[in-house]
Amino acid sequence: MFMQIDLTSHIVRIISTLKVENEGNGLLSDLLVALTDQEASHLAFLSVFQNEGKGKAKSPKASLPIEVLEPEGIHPHLTFYSVSLPRGLFKGETLTLEVWAVFTHILKPFPKQVPQGDPQLILLEDSGYYLSPYAVESQTLTVKLPDARIESYTELGKTKVRGSEIRYGPYQNQTSFTEFPISVHFEYNKPLLVAQKLVREIEISHWGNVQITEHYNLIHGGAVLKGRYSRLDYQASPHTNAASAFSRLVASLHRGAHSVYYRDEIGNISTSRLRSDSQKTEIEIEPRFPLFGGWRTFFTIGYGLPLEDYLFESEGKRFLNFSFGSSISDLVINELIVKVVLPEGSSGISVSIPFPVEQWQETKISHLDISGRPVMVLRKTNVVPEHNQHFQVYYEFSRFSMLREPLMLIIGFFFLFVASIAYTHADLSISKSSPSYLAKLQKDEVQIKLQQLLNIISQCLAIHDGLEASVQELSKTGDLQAFKTERKPANSLLKELLKELKPLLLFLQSSPQAARIFPKADDLVAKEQELLEKFTTKHSIIVDCYERKLSGREIENRVAPYQQKTTALRQEIDNLVDYIDGAI
Amino acid sequence: MADHASFFLVHHLLWVTNNRTYASKYIPIIASVSEHQPPTWPSYFMDINVLAFLVPAGIIACFSPLSDASSFVVLYIVTSVYFSGVMVRLMLVLAPAACIMSGIALSEAFDVFARSIKFQLPGLSETSWSEAADSSGTHEMQSDIAKTDKAEDAAKERPLKKGKKKEKEKEKDLAEKPSLKSRIEKRLLVLPFEASLIALLLIILLGGFYVVHCVWAAAEAYSAPSIVLTSRSHDGLHVFDDFREAYAWLSHNTDVDDKVASWWDYGYQTTAMANRTVIVDNNTWNNTHIATVGTAMSSPEKAAWEIFNSLDVKYVLVVFGGLVGYPSDDINKFLWMVRIGGGVFPHIKEPDYLRDGQYRIDSQATPTMLNCLMYKLSYYRFVETDGKGFDRVRRTEIGKKYFKLSYFEEAFTSHHWMVRIYKLKPSRNRIKGKVKKSKSGARQNTCGSLGNPLQNI
Repeated sequence: MFMQIDLTSHIVRIISTLKVENEGNGLLSDLLVALTDQEASHLAFLSVFQNEGKGKAKSPKASLPIEVLEPEGIHPHLTFYSVSLPRGLFKGETLTLEVWAVFTHILKPFPKQVPQGDPQLILLEDSGYYLSPYAVESQTLTVKLPDARIESYTELGKTKVRGSEIRYGPYQNQTSFTEFPISVHFEYNKPLLVAQKLVREIEISHWGNVQITEHYNLIHGGAVLKGRYSRLDYQASPHTNAASAFSRLVASLHRGAHSVYYRDEIGNISTSRLRSDSQKTEIEIEPRFPLFGGWRTFFTIGYGLPLEDYLFESEGKRFLNFSFGSSISDLVINELIVKVVLPEGSSGISVSIPFPVEQWQETKISHLDISGRPVMVLRKTNVVPEHNQHFQVYYEFSRFSMLREPLMLIIGFFFLFVASIAYTHADLSISKSSPSYLAKLQKDEVQIKLQQLLNIISQCLAIHDGLEASVQELSKTGDLQAFKTERKPANSLLKELLKELKPLLLFLQSSPQAARIFPKADDLVAKEQELLEKFTTKHSIIVDCYERKLSGREIENRVAPYQQKTTALRQEIDNLVDYIDGAI
Repeated sequence: MADHASFFLVHHLLWVTNNRTYASKYIPIIASVSEHQPPTWPSYFMDINVLAFLVPAGIIACFSPLSDASSFVVLYIVTSVYFSGVMVRLMLVLAPAACIMSGIALSEAFDVFARSIKFQLPGLSETSWSEAADSSGTHEMQSDIAKTDKAEDAAKERPLKKGKKKEKEKEKDLAEKPSLKSRIEKRLLVLPFEASLIALLLIILLGGFYVVHCVWAAAEAYSAPSIVLTSRSHDGLHVFDDFREAYAWLSHNTDVDDKVASWWDYGYQTTAMANRTVIVDNNTWNNTHIATVGTAMSSPEKAAWEIFNSLDVKYVLVVFGGLVGYPSDDINKFLWMVRIGGGVFPHIKEPDYLRDGQYRIDSQATPTMLNCLMYKLSYYRFVETDGKGFDRVRRTEIGKKYFKLSYFEEAFTSHHWMVRIYKLKPSRNRIKGKVKKSKSGARQNTCGSLGNPLQNI
C-alpha cells in the first residue's frame, strides 16, 4: 500500500491507496479503517472510493458508504470506520481502494510565538506506519512538504529525502495495529488561514435575485507574533520579514455575480479589486491590515446572483442548488452556518446534502413581512474545501405569494387615500347643537353668501365695462342705434342683478357672524347702485348729445364730471371687493 | 467645549496650491485650517461664491421699500456676517441668510429685466395697455410716457385736445393714485430691450455656474470625510484609509478592556470605531484629564510611562503625517498639548520646547522637545524609511534620528504611517534591582503553595 501525507497546505490530506486481499475463507463485504482518537478529533472529511484506473485520483469521487463503529474495547484510543465494499471479496480476490482523509488543526506551530521576521516552523506528529486493523504486507509513506527548509524529521529505517519529499519504506510484513510515531518539523511560510466563524446567508427573492452575504471572522492560526510589529520591516521586505503574514485573499464568486461589496463594521474597505469575465467572477480582497500570526479580522462580502441560474423546479417543488462552503480557497472553517432565507409563504422545506450537518428552522422578519420568512439553517463544524459541494433546498411556493407584498402596499396606500378623503369629507363634530358647531355652520353660510355677492358684483362690473367699451365704440363710429340696442338689455340685466343682491344683504344683516363684514358689503352694494346711477345718467347724456349732434368736445365737457365720479366709485368698489375677498 | 476646541487645528482641510510635499502633490485637500479661526476671503468665496456679490444687491433691494419684513432680513444678514467673521464654523449661520438675500436680489433683477422686455414687446404692450386704458376710461394713454408729453400728440385719432388731456391726467392721478403712481414708477425703470435680454441670459448663466460650483464644492470639499483621505494622481485615485485601518486593528487585536491613550481629537473616533475605552475624548469638560495626557505626551519616556501606567493605559496612539505630508498630525498640535498640560502641571513649560520662540523639530530643537514622548513615538525608526528622516509636513530633517524606546514598543503602524500605536512595556522587564523583590515574591509563592495543603487539612 502507499500512503501520502500532503503538507503543502495547512489542511492536511492523507491519501492511502490500499490493495486489499481477502485471505480468509468467508466473504468480505466490509473493511475497517482505523484512526487514533486524536486524529479522529481533527478529521474533517473522510472518503473511500474504489481506484479503478492506474492514475492517481486528484479529487474525491463518489464515496463508498462509511459508518462509524463503536469502539470494541480492545483498542479504546482508536476510532473505527466501517466501509462497505462495492462487491464482496471471496478468498484470494483483491480490490484497490483509496482512502482520502482530511485533517485540520493537526499542524502545530513550534515555537508557538515568533518575532516578526523569523520563519514560521510547523510540527507534524503522526504515525509512520499505516494504522491498520489488518496485517500489512508492504507499505511506503511519502510526506510531501512545501518547498522550504526541513528542520528535522524522524528517521525510521529506510528514509530518504528527495527535494521537498520525505520517503519512508517500503516496510514489509507488519502485524496489525503497529504504531510508530514520527514527527516532521519544517518551515512553512504560508498563513494558516482559519475562519473561526463564517455565516453565509443566501436570500432568495422570486423577483429575480439571490443575495449572498458572507460574514467572515478570520484568524491567522500560525505562530503568534511575539513582541513588536514594525511596519518598516514589513514594508521594506515583506517576503523575508513577514512571509507567513497574509494581506491578500482571492474569493472566486459564482458566475454572474453583481453588486459585489466588501465591508466591515466601520464601512467600505477600499482595498479590493473585482475581476470578472464570462466564466467566473473573482474578487481580490485585502484586509484592512496585514494579518500576522494570532491576529484577527472581520469582514463581510456580499453579492447578488441571477435567480434563474440557481433556482430550479422539479415535480411541483422548487429547489435551490447552491455550493455549501466558502468562496475563499484554502480556508479552514471552524464553524460554518449557512442560512437559506426562503420567501415568505414557502412551505414543505427539506434539505438534501451529501454529508451530515445540523439543521433547524428559524424565521426572519424583513420588510413587509407578516409571518416572517422561513430560514433553513445548516451548521457544520470543521469545514474544509472538500465540503464545497452542492446542496439542495426544496420548498413549495405559490407564484401568487409573490404578489402579496406589492398588493399589500397598493391596498395600504389605497386605504390611506380613502381614509384621507373620508376624513376631509366627514363631519367629525361630536355635538350637533353646540354653539361652536352652529357658529361654524353660520360662518360657512356667510362665506357662501359673500361669495355669491361678490360674484354678482363682478358680473355687474363686467357689464359696466362692456357698456364703457360700447361708449368708446360710439365715439369712434357714431353708431347711436347700436349703442342703444346694447344699452337696454344691459340695464335691465343690471337691475335684476341688483335685486338679487337684496336678499343676500338681508341675510348678512341678520347673521351675527357677518356683523363685521356687513357694513362693507352694504357699502359695496350702495356704491354699486350709485355707480349704476351715474353710468345711467352719463350714458343718457351721451345719447342725448349724440341725438343733438353736439361736437366731440362738447360731449366731453358734459360727461367729464360723471366720468370723474364713476372712476372714483369704481376704485372704491375695487377696494371693497378686495377687502371682502380677503376676509373670506 | 466649543471655546476650548477653538484652540486646535482640527482636521478640516482646505485647498491650497502647494507643491512641495508629497501630500501636496497627491492629496488635493491639504492646508489645514482651524474651524474656529477667522475665515479668510478665499474661504468666503469658496463657500458662498457668487452669493458674495449678490448679497449687497439684495440689501439694496431690501431698502428700496423698507418694510418690517425686509428690515428683519437686513438685520439677519448683518448679524450673520458678523458672526461668520468670528469663526469659520459660523459660516453655516451665514449660508441661509446669504441665500435669502441673493434670492431677493435675483428676484428683483428678474423683475426689472422681465418687465423691461414685457413693455417693449409689441404684442404684449398693446394688450396690457388696452386693459389699463379700459379701466381708467382714457383711451389716449396708449403712448409711452417715456416718449414724453411732446411726442404723444401725434398718436392716433383722439377726440380730445392737449390741454384737456393734461387736466385729465391730473384727475386721473387723483382717482387712481396708488396703481397709476406705481405704474409710472415702473415705466420709468424700463431698460433697453436688448440690454435687458442679455442681462437676463447672463443671470441665468450665473445661476447655472453657481450650481456647477456648488456640486463641485459639495463633492470635493464637503462630502469627503476627514477620516478617509483621497488623492488624485496620474494613475488614478489613491485612498489613505489609515485611520480606519488602525481602528480596525485595535478593535480586533486588542483585549476588550484595554485602554487607549491618545490626544482628545481621536477620542470619539476610537470609542466608536475601535470600540475601546479612551482616556480623553472630544467631551472636553474635564480639562484636567486632557492636561494629564498632554503632560504625558510632553514628558520624557519614563515619566510618561508612569503617568500612563497609573491610568491603566495599555496602548498609546499617535497620528503622524510626516511620511506622506498629512499636516494635521500630532506634532503640529503638540504645542497645545504642552500649553494645556502646563496649565495644570506647571513643571511643563512652553519655552522649554521652543528655540528662540520658534517651534521646530530639526537639529536646532531643544533637548526637551527631542526627548519628549510625542517626538519619540512619532519619529521612532522614521529615519530608516529614507535614510535622512525628512519630515514632509515640517519640510525639514528631524533633529534626533536614531533612538530606542525602552518603555514602549511598537504595536501597530498603519500603511502610510499616519497612525502609530505603541504598547506600554510591562513593568517587570525594566526596573533594575528588582531581583530581591522577585525572589522574595517567589518565596512567598512557595509558602503559599505549602500553606494550601495545610489549609486543606
